[in-house]
Amino acid sequence: MTELSYVGKSLRRKDGPDKVTGRAVYSEDIKLPGTLIGRILRSPHPHARIVRIDSAKALSLPGVKAVITVEDTKGIKHGFVETPRYPPDQEVLARGRVVYVGEEIAAVAAVDQVTAQKALDLIEVEYEQLPAVFDPFEAMQPGAPQIHPTNPKIASEVPYSNVGGRTATGWGDVEGGFAQADYVREDRFESHLRTHGYLEPHATIAHWENDRLNVWTSSMGTFIKRAKLARTLDLPYSAVRVHKAYVGGTFGGKIDLYSHEYCAARLSMITRRPVRIVASREEIFSAYRHGQPLAMELKTGVKRDGTIVAQQIRVINNSGGYRGSGVVVIFLGWGFTMIPYRIPNLKYEGLSVYTNYPVRAPQRGHGCPQIRFAIESQLDAIAEHLGIDPVTIRLRNAREPGEALPNGGNVHEAGLIDCIKVAAEKSNIRERYGQGRRGSGTIRRGIGMGVSGYFGGSLIYPNGSGVIVKMNDDGTATVLTGGIDVGQGSETIICQIVAEELALDLDDVKIVSSDTDSTPQDIGAWISGMTYVTGNAARQAAGNVRRKMLDLVSTRFNVDVEKLMVQDKVVFNRGNPSQRMTYREIIAHSVATNRGDTILGEGYWRTMRDEPNHPSLATTKGRWSENYAFSCQVAEVEVDIETGEARLVKALTVHDCGFPVNPALVKGQIDGQVSMALGHAFLEEVITKDGYTLNPTWLDYRMPTIHEMAASEDADVITEQYVVGQPFRTKEVGEGLVSGILAAIANAIYDATAVRLTSTPFTPEKILRGIRKLERERRTN
Amino acid sequence: MTQTHIEPTVRSRIIELSVNGERHEIAVKPRNTLVEVLREKIGLTGTKEGCEQGACGVCTVLLDGRPVLSCLTLAIECDGRSVLTVEGLAHGDQLSPIQQAFLDQGAVQCGYCTAGMLMSATALLERNPKPSLPEIKKALEGNICRCTGYNAIVAAVQQASGQGVEPVMR
Repeated sequence: MTELSYVGKSLRRKDGPDKVTGRAVYSEDIKLPGTLIGRILRSPHPHARIVRIDSAKALSLPGVKAVITVEDTKGIKHGFVETPRYPPDQEVLARGRVVYVGEEIAAVAAVDQVTAQKALDLIEVEYEQLPAVFDPFEAMQPGAPQIHPTNPKIASEVPYSNVGGRTATGWGDVEGGFAQADYVREDRFESHLRTHGYLEPHATIAHWENDRLNVWTSSMGTFIKRAKLARTLDLPYSAVRVHKAYVGGTFGGKIDLYSHEYCAARLSMITRRPVRIVASREEIFSAYRHGQPLAMELKTGVKRDGTIVAQQIRVINNSGGYRGSGVVVIFLGWGFTMIPYRIPNLKYEGLSVYTNYPVRAPQRGHGCPQIRFAIESQLDAIAEHLGIDPVTIRLRNAREPGEALPNGGNVHEAGLIDCIKVAAEKSNIRERYGQGRRGSGTIRRGIGMGVSGYFGGSLIYPNGSGVIVKMNDDGTATVLTGGIDVGQGSETIICQIVAEELALDLDDVKIVSSDTDSTPQDIGAWISGMTYVTGNAARQAAGNVRRKMLDLVSTRFNVDVEKLMVQDKVVFNRGNPSQRMTYREIIAHSVATNRGDTILGEGYWRTMRDEPNHPSLATTKGRWSENYAFSCQVAEVEVDIETGEARLVKALTVHDCGFPVNPALVKGQIDGQVSMALGHAFLEEVITKDGYTLNPTWLDYRMPTIHEMAASEDADVITEQYVVGQPFRTKEVGEGLVSGILAAIANAIYDATAVRLTSTPFTPEKILRGIRKLERERRTN
Repeated sequence: MTQTHIEPTVRSRIIELSVNGERHEIAVKPRNTLVEVLREKIGLTGTKEGCEQGACGVCTVLLDGRPVLSCLTLAIECDGRSVLTVEGLAHGDQLSPIQQAFLDQGAVQCGYCTAGMLMSATALLERNPKPSLPEIKKALEGNICRCTGYNAIVAAVQQASGQGVEPVMR
């Protein structure tokens, strides 16, 4: 890579100083005069008909300014996806029926919190409880309580009830493949309900003023919020402004439209005062959207040398009371299966099944952690049966650079093979695995490997990102981008790219971001495409500024552009350095001689420019992405065979990230994902009974504390490069690295104890049960 | 109906609070927590609220030098006492060593745990200038972070206490 000054360097965050001094303004920090406090009335039942709602008493309570139910809305539905097959299916407040505990029924706005709460208590609701169903396999049976009719397009394909989404795809001949295989293995895996745990609660303040709605809300993309708010409120997009606010963590849980956002806006439109709604942590745990629990049935056939011949997979999603993103996770179940390894014959089916639970949301990896846990666990079991080590079997199946994908895509510069080799070498796993089980004493150590792949950017509204770079006449630059920083550091890396293109210090690049009025549209921070898509838009915008400035100097001195150099805010002729202009001079010259051109650069980017649409969620036809990241991760665990308690001691992440724009930010993403993976593996579980959440507090939903911190080492496999003035493909690093560690942990536990766990979380009870079962088997043999 | 307030019998009391070295006289209800008073009445929003149950630590401030959970501390308990919040750590433009170390180590991502972490770390370094790793973990065990995995936060405390950790960001 040619010498770069800003891209590839671990530069300090642009928003760092604001965050360490308390200056950073989050949605709940916005103070507007006359603000009312809003609160939501939620269903106490998992499934019930609403016979009657009467809010008269609540409305007449002194201090209450408005009460709304679905009758006070325009009745416009919304959904995570909105396609002909999966049209919007959820209203902002329940109409006639509630389908999960916590579903939003009404909202109040009052002068203070206590009054708002008392108003909720005064809303009279008469329910007729209906039979409820919580297990997707039960919900699928004919005769199960019907939450929603099976999608009519799917009802002709499968005989099940309560099916909200179906993905079916494949290639080759799986039966023929299994017949040819030397070894076929079938396993069932289950992942459990866990949640995002963002520290900043959902918080929204909405102010309807002068026929415009001003909103500050904790989100993963201001443009998608604007679109959904505007549509459900029946307003033109231009009447809704979603302002920039700092965001305190999201991890997938703040994408879709939430009822409280609509209600804050609607209540403000009625009262003409700002309305703030902040979810309590108890509400978040018990009524907001958690990750998707998947059941995965996996059958794999291999040759004697471990090469995969055929694979058959069925994924069942416990979708909750509406479609949500369930129809996407069953599509992704296929995607995350097919990226890393060659699978000559595949049959895949995914079903998203309604249950009487809160709607689900994507959670960091969106199905990838669950899928890779299943596939990598089974692959290790296959390897053991065949007498092949875990590294060799993965190398045999790993896709190579330039390989075509069965859906028409291509893995391009795929660094998976190097990732596996480097991980094997650094961890010395070939020598170390199999040793833990032979230990004596109560603590056993185990080592395990997990491979994963992830996509960087796909097509979903708004599909494209625009960026504007405007020069200030003192030679500094201001970047306008819709890209939102949710903690991942997007503001910093966008500035780094602009700084590189314009040879400006990072301090000379200011950024205005994620304001739907003043910044261009952006795809948002939830499709793993910020660095690739928005980054390229920023590069192009800055590149256009650079070209304008070079053209001006070229014309002024009659020198070819190729002879010009840019350094320290000066453009000069390499052959005759006295021919030079400072940025300040160039801009003044432009204004003076070019009809007042103040020098703006516009840039825009989308992934797969030649693909009109997103791929079919039903059939997976169509290209999914043009950017795939790969990783091989190794986990070292310790298991106490007396108590069954296990912990992650060390994680190694070797990833093909393309090239890192900011290595320290990349490391931060890796560390955070290691932490999430160990939480998923050992600590976290949303415990429910009959649709109620039993542990809606952080005291009982145990997220990793500093005591659970694992050592985290990372190594980059560089497969792309950044060249000033040219498009780049660098790869995502914010989501795909939970999966490999989770899979590696599962394999490491087996290595330590010979207990193969097929469901998360890996609790002490499950581990002890497995150990005792093995002891019994040993005794009887 | 002339009644305009829901609680006619609960009257506010005047308390005196020193926040970041500045004296404030504030009217508070008995049920107002310290975090509510800091954020709503004094207007210092750097201290965050995450769970209203004292389980996450984002609301940590120093009360007479000791870290407390301001969401579980009643404002009237703080009458006549002094509070230090994240806004009081820097001296003008000069960040404190721990603030600077958080920037140098990449210990800030979303920033929501940052204020509470900084306060717990500040209290630790005040009483223990060279804490060991177990001591660092003990002092920060009440502050949850979801973004960083804690690795960079530990490194920041070690850098700020001069224990041989060099900045990784510049």
